[in-house]
Amino acid sequence: MSNALHKKRDFIERSMLSALAFLKDATLSEECANRKGFLQSLDPRFKTISFLAFLVTAVSLKSAVLIGSLYGLCLLLVFFSRIPLNYFLTRTLLFIPLFSLCIVLPTLFSMVTPGEPVWSFHVLGINAIITRPGVDGALLFVVRIATSVSLVVLLSLTTRHSELLKVLRLFGVPQLFVLTVSMCYRYLYLFATMVENIFTALKSRVGMVSRHQHGQNIVAWNIANTWNRTTQMSEEVYMAMLSRGYTGEPQLLSEFHATLKDWFWLLCALIICAGLFYRGHTL
Amino acid sequence: MSAIIFEVKDVQYSYPGKFPALCGVDMTIRSGEKIAVIGANGTGKSTLLHLLDGLIFPHQGQVTAFGERLLENSLFDEKAAHHFRRRVGLVFQNADIQLFCPSVREDIAFGPLQFGVEEEEVNRRIMDVAQVLDIHHLLDRVPHQLSIGEKKRVAIASVLAIDPDVYLFDEPTAGLDPLTVRHIIDFMVNANRRGKTIITATHDLHIIGEIADTVYVFGRNKRIVRGGSSESVLNDRALLESNNLIHIHQHHHDGKEHVHQHLPLEQHD
Repeated sequence: MSNALHKKRDFIERSMLSALAFLKDATLSEECANRKGFLQSLDPRFKTISFLAFLVTAVSLKSAVLIGSLYGLCLLLVFFSRIPLNYFLTRTLLFIPLFSLCIVLPTLFSMVTPGEPVWSFHVLGINAIITRPGVDGALLFVVRIATSVSLVVLLSLTTRHSELLKVLRLFGVPQLFVLTVSMCYRYLYLFATMVENIFTALKSRVGMVSRHQHGQNIVAWNIANTWNRTTQMSEEVYMAMLSRGYTGEPQLLSEFHATLKDWFWLLCALIICAGLFYRGHTL
Repeated sequence: MSAIIFEVKDVQYSYPGKFPALCGVDMTIRSGEKIAVIGANGTGKSTLLHLLDGLIFPHQGQVTAFGERLLENSLFDEKAAHHFRRRVGLVFQNADIQLFCPSVREDIAFGPLQFGVEEEEVNRRIMDVAQVLDIHHLLDRVPHQLSIGEKKRVAIASVLAIDPDVYLFDEPTAGLDPLTVRHIIDFMVNANRRGKTIITATHDLHIIGEIADTVYVFGRNKRIVRGGSSESVLNDRALLESNNLIHIHQHHHDGKEHVHQHLPLEQHD
């Protein structure tokens, strides 16, 4: 069998396993959150509020330079939180700003954003003109998206997901919702592993998931099987909750303890935001 | 004679759309007893534990707990439910079911918090049970990162934090390494010495001698085919063989091929 044909036939299996590996790595890995870095040492509540302040600043400022300085601060925090820079940049810069660039592309041209021409060229008999306001607007948009996404990714990388969910309680999200989402998150890993194991078992019996049609059948069967097991397990988990006294209104542990360092960080973050706002206003 | 905790009378139960799981079970359990329910797979052992924990209710017959009939309606009342569940704790066979919180610490705290225990006291209990089960180092871990043995110990800790009078164990040693099995048996024996009632569903005959004074054997007819002291039941080889609890076993021993029944270790000669 040729290599190309083999790859084609393996497509479904590779897609499934890659998706599961990505899910485990992207959403379930807490390796960065467990490192002993600056952001990891902060109380999640204070950290979330400060990052919210940064986000509001990033989306409100109208100067790409000022937003860029916020991005610089974000990279500084990446360094002090002991997160590998290339790992962070791969997660943020490679994909999301690329998509924003696609969105913003039409606004570069005079037909959408009129103004002083910077560069013109002919394409399909049409004279396309890129304008200065168009370039400025696109630059502002891309920098804003890159900074916002970076801030959100940094927050989620340096905070354990369970803590991040608990912070939602600060904003009045009901305890039941927090518990339900936490449980979904907790069982995601279990089901991802289960699906992986099914594929391994299948491979051990039939060698590989062969034909396209056959592969589709296996994926469909897998979905049905996982659905069945999920339903069964949800009933059993509910029983386990009842067994330990759950009566419909869950009580959860509040483990947060603020220190002077947290207050100092929040103060610094607010001063930085206020400074940027002031600078943006006077520009 | 100590007080009766559970009285099971002619209990029958069927899971929806499935064959009957229990077909007329009678049993009396007294405070401070060590009881084992043994039987092959699918004989209704886990179903019985779920009935005793008030998670499912018999279609026929009745279960009485602490002198009161265990009814679904009575457990709808939060006060009554808490009163019962503080006293009875179930360690599920599958620890992944029992550990539904995002961290070990929260899983241990879940039970006491539902019963309104103050957070300071909950934190003290977390430390206590972590010491008893040697799981200090696991407290801030997420359950899915633990090994099966660690999960089992955390599952027991989550029930121990409630400090119930009755412990129900569903296959507590299944699939565990010998050292973890030893820790769990020690825990069960010590809990019983402190006056706790221990009810265990298992088909691991090697541990019966230590964890039970009384043994009930469940047969394929989903009924108790024999009940008695652990010694008398374990010595009844015909009973154990007819109920799929022992089998003919062939292996090499001292350089010779050796054929005998697969029996609890203490009876291996």
